[in-house]
Amino acid sequence: MTAPPPPSSPEPPRQSLAKSPASSHPHGLRHTGAVEQPDGRIVVDKLTKVFGTQRAVDELSFTVEPGSITGFLGPNGAGKTTTLRMLLGLIAPTAGTATINGVAYHSLHRPLQTVGAALEASSFHPAHTGLQHLRIYCAAANLPAKRADEVLEIVGLTNAAKKKTKGYSMGMRQRLGLAGTLLGDPKVLILDEPANGLDPEGIRWLRGFFRHLASEGRTILVSSHQLAEIQEVADRAVILNQGRLVRAGTLAELSAGTSTAIVRGPDLAPLQQALAAAGLAGTTEPDGSLRVRADELTQIGHLAFSNGVELHELSLEEFDLEKLFFSLTEGAHQAHNFDQPGAPPPQVPPAGYAPGEGGRR
Amino acid sequence: MINLLKSEVLKIRSTQVWVWMLLLVVALTTLFTLGTVLSIQTGTPKEGINYFSVWTTFGTAGIALLVLGLLGLTTEFRHQTITPTLLATPDRWRLLSGKALAYVIFAIPYGLICIVVNLVVATICLKAKSFPVTFADGAIGGIVTNFISLILLAFFGLGLGALIRNQAAGMVAGILYLSIINGLLSVIPVIRKVYLFEPGGALTAFTTRDRDNYGLRHDVIHVSPMVGGLILLVWCVAILIAGGYFSLQRDIS
Repeated sequence: MTAPPPPSSPEPPRQSLAKSPASSHPHGLRHTGAVEQPDGRIVVDKLTKVFGTQRAVDELSFTVEPGSITGFLGPNGAGKTTTLRMLLGLIAPTAGTATINGVAYHSLHRPLQTVGAALEASSFHPAHTGLQHLRIYCAAANLPAKRADEVLEIVGLTNAAKKKTKGYSMGMRQRLGLAGTLLGDPKVLILDEPANGLDPEGIRWLRGFFRHLASEGRTILVSSHQLAEIQEVADRAVILNQGRLVRAGTLAELSAGTSTAIVRGPDLAPLQQALAAAGLAGTTEPDGSLRVRADELTQIGHLAFSNGVELHELSLEEFDLEKLFFSLTEGAHQAHNFDQPGAPPPQVPPAGYAPGEGGRR
Repeated sequence: MINLLKSEVLKIRSTQVWVWMLLLVVALTTLFTLGTVLSIQTGTPKEGINYFSVWTTFGTAGIALLVLGLLGLTTEFRHQTITPTLLATPDRWRLLSGKALAYVIFAIPYGLICIVVNLVVATICLKAKSFPVTFADGAIGGIVTNFISLILLAFFGLGLGALIRNQAAGMVAGILYLSIINGLLSVIPVIRKVYLFEPGGALTAFTTRDRDNYGLRHDVIHVSPMVGGLILLVWCVAILIAGGYFSLQRDIS
């Protein structure tokens, strides 16, 4: 993987935007009157979108700090894609604002050189080759045509550059979409489910790709269902449920107080008493093990030793983003629970059912 | 705008649609020119030959230009490439203006090819039938207006595509309108009075000889060819603005 070359010229702040604070964008996106600040900060403020009677996004506010990788998480239908599309000026918000570098997307001086966005893995003309697809957007962004070849090399698609996109696999489409995000060597990347359809090898590649981008100090906002992958590469997470923000912060903040110590031994009663006296609540599991909310094991080990309790296991079940995600978005799906023995089989979805984020629109 | 134009021209050139459209306009021009010249009875005096019609038969290729323009935006919606297009050019009116300009520029060589094919085929046929080759009957003016009409039809098709968005529906609507509905509008009582003010009627006024009220009934309100051209241009712009306002302003989801 080779690093993308630097942009042809540093991006100047868009001074002219300040001249028209009261003007309005034809798509309903208000000019903020702000001056573009090339820091890579994304600010979503009370963003709301109502489709008919459904509030797809409801007064959503969060900030993506410059240079961070932020996981944008939520179950299907939580409003992730709608939020990202509002951020990119493709959907007009009902209320609220979303800015990148302090201005709305449509006010960016050179959008592709500022933000790289991959929203779906199917936005390609089937008769275009991967190279042609990228060269079209190179031309639109006033980038040299050779930049298309460079980004294809970065995502490992050089050999498929002259193949028509209709012959691309899902993984190749994802890579082509990611290549498109890099065309303008932007500081901000917005990726919607980039791991969808990738095989394990592709996911491993994507993990390395994220690390490479992070090492270059880019701001990345990535929505994904691959929670383990997000936990591995992201430093912040924004968790959404039913259009509303349920949790946001650094992974360290989100993980505080969520780790659990697992203790096993022939007689844990004295230890449980000692833990209670020390203010550490523990619960006994059906298998006789003890689960104690704790971020480290030193104190528990010490209490066991000082109370003469024999231990067979003392381990720490560390923060798991997936568990946090499910605890925060519980009830988002009324789907069949296969964990319950004897439960009836799932029903066939009704006609017109469209799975996935965009299905309800 | 130059970047946008380059990008749009690249989009058109990157598929084979432009080749098929080129073959279509050449075929239509050849076919209709042959039909026009070969239908002139042998021995017809020079004064009896409708040279205006002979040299402007290429105007029938306008339907192909309309379809080409229609594909300009409907293809973007069909293949969802409208998303990356709008990410590269977020200002939707700018995008629409750029596309309109690109299709106008792209229609020019098509129009020139049509003229050349018309000239060559008609000349060969006229000579083969021993008719004099002359540009009488205001043929030169007719060539110019028909050439402009081809460009305007590509423009009109783009606007129609922006308004309808669905490619199949847009093509059916465009072809039906030019081939059937437009003809019906010229004969339906009351409506036919303002026939020359609707796009197809204005096209007729612009591209046909101003004689005998363009062959229409006498209760049809007359407009001159130049006014017809202006009316057609206004329709093109209006359809494009309507398409931009009602369709392109929608959420892209």
